[in-house]
Amino acid sequence: MIELWQAMAQGVLIGSTYGLLALGMGLVYGVSGVVNFSHGDFISLGMFMCLALYSALSLDPYVSAIITVPVMTVIGALVYRYLIRPMVGHQFLMVVQLTLGLSLVLQNGILMVFGGQPARTPSMVDSKLIILGDVVLRVPHVIAFVVSFALAIGLFVMLRSTDFGRSIRAVHQNAHAAALMGIDVSRVQVLTFALGIGILAIAAALLLPGTPIQPTQGLRYTVITLLVVVLGGMTNFVGIMLGGLIIGIAEAFGTIYLSETLGALMPYMIFVVIMLFRPQGLTWRSPR
Amino acid sequence: MLEIDNLVAGYGAVPVLHEVSIKLGAGEAIGLLGANNAGKTTLINALSGMVTPMSGRILFEGQDVTHLSPKRRVELGIVQVPEGRMIFPEMSIRENLLLGGINARARPKRPHRIDEVLELFPRLKERLSQHAGTLSGGEQQMLAIGRGLMAEAKLLMLDEPSLGLSPLFVQYIFEIIDRLHAAGLTILLVEQNLMLTLRHAQRCYVLERGHIAVEGSAEHVRDDPRTRSAYLGL
Amino acid sequence: MRQEFYQTLRSPVLWGGLAIAALLPFVLTSYYLNIVILALVYVALASSWNIVGGMAGQISMAHSLFIGVGAMFSTALLIKLGINMWLGMLISAAIAGALGAIIAWIDFRFQLGHLSFVLITLAFAEMGGIIVEGWDFLGGASGLMLPRDTGNFVAFQFGGGRGAFWVMLVLATLCVIVNIAILNAPLGYYLRSIRDNEKAAQAIGVNVLRYKVVAMVISAMLASIVGTAYVRYLTFADPYLLVSPVITIEIVLFATVGGLGRAFGPALGALLLVPLGEILRGKLGGTLPGLHYFIYGIVVIAVILATPRGLLSLLESLWMRWRGRATVKL
Repeated sequence: MIELWQAMAQGVLIGSTYGLLALGMGLVYGVSGVVNFSHGDFISLGMFMCLALYSALSLDPYVSAIITVPVMTVIGALVYRYLIRPMVGHQFLMVVQLTLGLSLVLQNGILMVFGGQPARTPSMVDSKLIILGDVVLRVPHVIAFVVSFALAIGLFVMLRSTDFGRSIRAVHQNAHAAALMGIDVSRVQVLTFALGIGILAIAAALLLPGTPIQPTQGLRYTVITLLVVVLGGMTNFVGIMLGGLIIGIAEAFGTIYLSETLGALMPYMIFVVIMLFRPQGLTWRSPR
Repeated sequence: MLEIDNLVAGYGAVPVLHEVSIKLGAGEAIGLLGANNAGKTTLINALSGMVTPMSGRILFEGQDVTHLSPKRRVELGIVQVPEGRMIFPEMSIRENLLLGGINARARPKRPHRIDEVLELFPRLKERLSQHAGTLSGGEQQMLAIGRGLMAEAKLLMLDEPSLGLSPLFVQYIFEIIDRLHAAGLTILLVEQNLMLTLRHAQRCYVLERGHIAVEGSAEHVRDDPRTRSAYLGL
Repeated sequence: MRQEFYQTLRSPVLWGGLAIAALLPFVLTSYYLNIVILALVYVALASSWNIVGGMAGQISMAHSLFIGVGAMFSTALLIKLGINMWLGMLISAAIAGALGAIIAWIDFRFQLGHLSFVLITLAFAEMGGIIVEGWDFLGGASGLMLPRDTGNFVAFQFGGGRGAFWVMLVLATLCVIVNIAILNAPLGYYLRSIRDNEKAAQAIGVNVLRYKVVAMVISAMLASIVGTAYVRYLTFADPYLLVSPVITIEIVLFATVGGLGRAFGPALGALLLVPLGEILRGKLGGTLPGLHYFIYGIVVIAVILATPRGLLSLLESLWMRWRGRATVKL
């Protein structure tokens, strides 16, 4: 019984971060029709940057986020401007292959610089625990949960109440009309992508404490994000956050009740079951 | 105010407009007529910067805008109310209007302007938080025009505003257009509906397969036999 | 069947090219011969995937299942049950075909969107990998070792390098010819109509289910057969290589970069990128881990930016400019 609550708690905590990751991907898809298959490798990049900053300056990951977030945001803008924008309008699968090439570059770039051994980045909150009744929560997970949710809410507010957010939604709903309003569609696309990468940098700092990292982990994160995004109906805000929680919980249940390998399969299974019976995903009348 | 000089434009390598020349003075209401694929929407899109000209010039208030981005053109006051309305379906009326005024010149005046637009279209005021996608065709047209007004237009271009509307709504919309014109707004009206346009525009141009077939005052265009043949493709 | 098909089959360029290619084992060292064999394997695999992914527009990540069945199952049948590998190849192909039919049926029955299909087939591929690694009959995690290749053709042995090359050349040619055949037959039209607008195709009476299944079955069986031949060449049935989704990702890359949905596209992509990858690995693999993939990734990005419509399109436009012709079909 305890395991159930433990799994639920863990799942919800990590699921909120998965949701955040997927929001970034969903925004980019809504605005440029692009799915970035190197999504997870950017997370890796963020994590390894934190590691580097720790090795060089002994900075706690949460603190190095102050540096990594702006840097990654700029990298994101450059990547979009020079690699992805030239491909807008071309075959979807071709753009995907480009992002896969990018994935190879990121993954192996990290490998070349940091080597292939799993590495840990210590944080002051690493081993701290919060105990609620019989459930043990690790502080980094709780922080990840709080920050992810706060950011998600922040994004939601931004989309609904700021001109930039409205521009994003306008470009998603009708790019031609958005241009006729005087919205610089291209600029919205770059900024949205850069925003997405910035979010990944934050998520990287959140996921880092207590997790050993390797250059090859990118694909795993990309697939998880894809599962969440598709489950959430690609651009449906609530659907995506809900999808994140479901995938997080599925993963937690899988790893706690089953073995490691089978546990990794649980998100897939839940995904398959849900999508087979609800191909439109978890969407319902949620304004986007 | 607006001068189009021998404009050649189209999509890809194929020109749709062939050496089109049009003049529009400030405060005028001009009609652009023609059959279905005569090139009317292409022309309006070229004016908005959505279609890049292959040759020719567009001058607005003396300035050469031929290669300006759509964003810059809206900022200068060239505003289009597109064919089919193209309102943002999953945003409220209020949000649609706010977006209409998003350009740099219009934004400071937005809170004030939105009240004016809602006075002009009381029906929209009633449904301010309703999603635009749930509105009727006529209501969407009101919203689209309202959005265009939010942009602080100096030149308002309407592409087929009567399309798909009931006669009652058409009359209402065109009354609004007349009022706007009377208040000093320069209007470029693109329409398939010949008689309707002749009633509300002072001068007209008739496009036929990308060429100007007839031009002149409304009466002149009405009486010219070439107008009819342009429409019937003879 | 359109005339183009027979014309292409009669083309002297095609047969001349094949004849020249057949002579390669006599001029290449075993190192380069191995690279070419590998390239041909991927030409065959990418071309088989093209039927489902390029022509029908169904991006399936399940291909590793079919290759895996062809490789692991036929090997297991040989080693554990003594079944001749020719027979094993046919049995595996049948199983792969059945699996493909089921997957295609699921795709149709549940009206899966494209990304959904990608992820669901990926799920199946991962499951397949886990099943193979856990099943002793198929060799478990340590794989299966094939008996030594003594060139006994009846026993499905090709005699190492040269024999393997000719077999792969035949298989690659076969897969490309199947592509050409489909593209010039009614099936090709149906598949492309499904790709371009499935709902519209269904509305005008195209039996979407049947053709999705047909495409998947052909694709799966070809992949399985190639898998069997490939594992014979490798002499070692390694589940991590043969049943992993990574192999599908590579195949999709070759097919896309070369020219999705075109007969020679995947071949072009594989013939360019496989040798590139192998040579990079050979020259740089030892020095700094990851360097060769890093450069490979950069090359892929550069190629795609330079030819966003695929290598085949680029070649065609170059050819057109040189010859001044209106259209050309490859």
